[in-house]
Amino acid sequence: MSHGYRLPVGGRIDRTRTISFTFNGSVLKGHPGDTLASALIANGVNIIGRSFKYHRPRGFYGAGVEDPNSMLAVRDRYAYEPALRAGQVHLCEGLEARSVTGWPTSGFDLAAGLQLFSGILGAGFYYKTFKWPNWALFEPLIERSTGFGRPRDTVETRVAHHRHVNCDVFIVGGGPAGLATARALIGSGLKVILADDQPQVGGSLLWEQTGIGSRAGDEWARVVAVEIAADTNMTVLNSTIVTAAYEGNHFTLLQSVRDPFGVRAEYIWKVHARQVVLATGMIDRPMVFAGNDRPGIMLSSSVRRLIREFAVAPASTLAIYTNNDSGYLTALAAQQAGINVVAVVDTREETAAVHRVAARGAGIECLFEAQITATSGYRRLTSISVCGTEGARRRIPCSSLAVSGGFTPLIHLASHRGTKPVYDSRLSAFLPGKLPADWSAVGGVAGTADLATTLADGARAARVLGNTVGISIGLPPDESVEGLSCGTVVPLWRPDHGSSAEMWVDFQNDVKVSDVEIAARENYVSVEHLKRYTTLGMGTDQGRTSNVNGLAIMAGSRGVAPEAMGTTTFRPPYVAVRMGTIANRRRGDLYKPRRLLPAHSVHEEHSAVFEDFGWERPDWYRRNGESREAAVAAEMSAVRDHVGVFDSSSLGKIEVTGPDAAEFLSRFYVSNMSTLKAGVIRYSVMAKEDGVIFDDGVVARLSEYVYLASPTSGNAESVAAWFERWRQTEWPSMRVAVSPVTSHWASIAIAGPKARALLAHLDPDFDISNAAFPHMRIREGVIAGVEARVARVSFTGELQYEISVPARYGASLMRALLLHGEIKPRPVGLEAWLRLRLEKGYLHLGSDTNGRTTPLDVGMGDLVAKRIDDFIGKRSLALSFARSDEREQLVGLLALEGALDAGARILAPGQTRPPCRTDGYVTSACFSPSVGAWIGLALIERGFARHGEVVLAYSGGSAIACRVTNPAFYDSGNARLHA
Amino acid sequence: MIVIRCPYCHEQRTEEELTYGGEAGIARPDPNTASDGEWTDYLFMRTNTKGLHNEQWCCSAGCGQWFKVTRHTVTHEVVAVVRFDEALG
Repeated sequence: MSHGYRLPVGGRIDRTRTISFTFNGSVLKGHPGDTLASALIANGVNIIGRSFKYHRPRGFYGAGVEDPNSMLAVRDRYAYEPALRAGQVHLCEGLEARSVTGWPTSGFDLAAGLQLFSGILGAGFYYKTFKWPNWALFEPLIERSTGFGRPRDTVETRVAHHRHVNCDVFIVGGGPAGLATARALIGSGLKVILADDQPQVGGSLLWEQTGIGSRAGDEWARVVAVEIAADTNMTVLNSTIVTAAYEGNHFTLLQSVRDPFGVRAEYIWKVHARQVVLATGMIDRPMVFAGNDRPGIMLSSSVRRLIREFAVAPASTLAIYTNNDSGYLTALAAQQAGINVVAVVDTREETAAVHRVAARGAGIECLFEAQITATSGYRRLTSISVCGTEGARRRIPCSSLAVSGGFTPLIHLASHRGTKPVYDSRLSAFLPGKLPADWSAVGGVAGTADLATTLADGARAARVLGNTVGISIGLPPDESVEGLSCGTVVPLWRPDHGSSAEMWVDFQNDVKVSDVEIAARENYVSVEHLKRYTTLGMGTDQGRTSNVNGLAIMAGSRGVAPEAMGTTTFRPPYVAVRMGTIANRRRGDLYKPRRLLPAHSVHEEHSAVFEDFGWERPDWYRRNGESREAAVAAEMSAVRDHVGVFDSSSLGKIEVTGPDAAEFLSRFYVSNMSTLKAGVIRYSVMAKEDGVIFDDGVVARLSEYVYLASPTSGNAESVAAWFERWRQTEWPSMRVAVSPVTSHWASIAIAGPKARALLAHLDPDFDISNAAFPHMRIREGVIAGVEARVARVSFTGELQYEISVPARYGASLMRALLLHGEIKPRPVGLEAWLRLRLEKGYLHLGSDTNGRTTPLDVGMGDLVAKRIDDFIGKRSLALSFARSDEREQLVGLLALEGALDAGARILAPGQTRPPCRTDGYVTSACFSPSVGAWIGLALIERGFARHGEVVLAYSGGSAIACRVTNPAFYDSGNARLHA
Repeated sequence: MIVIRCPYCHEQRTEEELTYGGEAGIARPDPNTASDGEWTDYLFMRTNTKGLHNEQWCCSAGCGQWFKVTRHTVTHEVVAVVRFDEALG
């Protein structure tokens, strides 16, 4: 057969049970223990997808996550994932899998016609072609023909959890190296975690032919796993991939919890370890030769794994191409499984091949000092052409080819920590180099290809880390170890025959040797440029099977050794992690805490429409089926003509107390708060050291030593932190305490001509007449039977009191105010409140100020000039940039026609439409019922000098004429405030 | 993940529980005598070391105290942690 099939015996699959799944709509069968890759190959599936750029047919290249070709969209019972490697997916009942490349199908892909243009699609083609008449014409087509994975709207039931754990020893990998280390630690009392990406530990022992002591390798692994499980200090995490290594020996892990119907849950583990053992192993490296990307060509170790773990043959005829001894292991395993092994093509001299006797004894033909010059078969490999030293060529028919070009240790996690890999010329591979503190590396990842050495090294590593913490770890008894070694490697980075335009280096991104040569010719010769100019190693496989070949070929073009090239940096994550898994429970209501005002239930009773302003606050109240605009207008007129009730509990409240409180506060605000008298309130702004406004609000002095600062709602926490930071770090000897009390007090504002009458009904125990309680004063006492602080301060421009009671009385206070039968106040939401203050020309921090606005820009120049002593930011206001002519200054705008938009740009004088210079922008705008026109505030260059001027405000395609004015649109004499 | 033990409350805290506060040891010039250059240097110029860096941190999710740390800006190794009124090496 020229495609894969199931072998009659062997493997670790459960042949007594059958699983049904679909691939591109066809129903296929497999067994428990299969991955999607092994099951598809067993069913004879050949073309799994199309390559990224040239849309060439691609088959399985590897059996696991190292495969660059198989990207499938997979749906199980619990979730849909748009792009997974077939070897990563464990077969489950009802699994649906689809190719994601190739249209209309991966079997017949119209875009394969692109190969006719491959001459102009080389590295960097988009810098040199498709430019006339306009790149934008070609870009959508090019985008559509590339890419992996299609998103889908789905409802998922897969659950995500997070776990955090500290441990003494973290072992990454459960193959022979990890198991040998773990076994030595049994009974040590150390808390050990071992993570392995497969459902059962054993790693390569599960599919290599080995014996340890009297047991087969896989049986040894099973017994050791049982012994580890018996030690309560040791935990094995199966199906767990370590996705990243961070400083301080922190790691993130992704664990898949499976049941017969799919991945039911994913756990993100955050592990912190005192000591780390890296035992991640190594993978085969491809050989580079002409025609090396055809379906049917696979990594040699993947062929062994398919045969021995999954009982799947890649085809009935197999050739081997190798530059090291491990190719022979594949030949022998295939021969034993009844596959016709047509030849082992070894690039080395005969004397280097230690297993040639065994191979020949099994009837396998071995060719030495031979190279593959070409292959044939577009949809499936049909033959290889081999050339020996004499130049004689020979065509060998075969429908599968196992290649091994050497080994690549999986050093990714060490690379995440910034360790530079070091080239080992014996193995022709990059080893981890100087590991981070408290790390050791054992087995394949450290360049050890010999099982006996690996087992001994694991035990020794355990002993060393035991010594570090003063625990004595014994060495295990000697065991005999059997198994063919992987022997020696003689690298052949670039063959002597064949066209470089037919030799693939990076299968996922379709990068060929000819592309590397283009990069070399155009002087993109550093390893970082090579990667980005050719896209080699930039795919989702992070160049697992392509990086080393690519840089070695570039090294050859430059005439330097591979180690002189250096490597690019591997970055987390090692495999893709779903955003949903990282988000875990933090969705919807659990995304962040919702803060509710003390009187929230009362607002609900009055049909408030809430918005998230940091706290959930009523934006407006829905009454009698009114629209929002009608409601807001009614709320505004209630405040202007009657009395409105507004919940201002979210405004910041900070008590600043002590003998030095006055001096302390004077250093922050533009106004001198130390001259504030007891019972008086003052409005001011606060800047940071660069002079930019960061808060505005009122400060009340309750008594000689007690101040109450009220930052704007959004700054409640940050102003308290700002005060506290200066106190601790600059003025620690000042006798002052800063206490944030925002959530301790509920504050309800009542505003309007009837406000005093409404306040009187709460029975305050102090005089609230206008003479006794003027504007900008604060009183403490009892209202409605509870302690209260009442501030007479106005945001709306009407007579206004802000009544603060302990938060537990907030709802009762709100209810008492709103249910007043005689006066019938109206609840007012934030939208109406902000429009009322706009009519008064009061600035709203963050809307009417931006990241450059200083106190000088909002008209506080006189106040600043009056301050002789220092405050934070004052020195910056003396710099020339703070006094520049080009600064935007806050002014009012009265629209002469039409509606004004916040955000509209103010066109420079003489301009009527963009593109042109602009002088500033509209910061707030609304229709003012009191004025009868649209009004706004704006930051305009030299605004203070331009009162009376008519300017154009441009927004949404049209320009509106506006007059620049003083911002006080309503009651500029402040008569209402003092009523 | 940077982990620091607060020198005030003595709890081991991850960087998610702390607030970073920039370089330590920046002295505020006298605003009455500082030139424009000296003042803007104070506002904007920092040593920006690649290596050991003296900096301020706040135990914001814990006791709320500001303290000082010497941290290697490349490896994130925390080399020294002192109370705010103590000197870093």
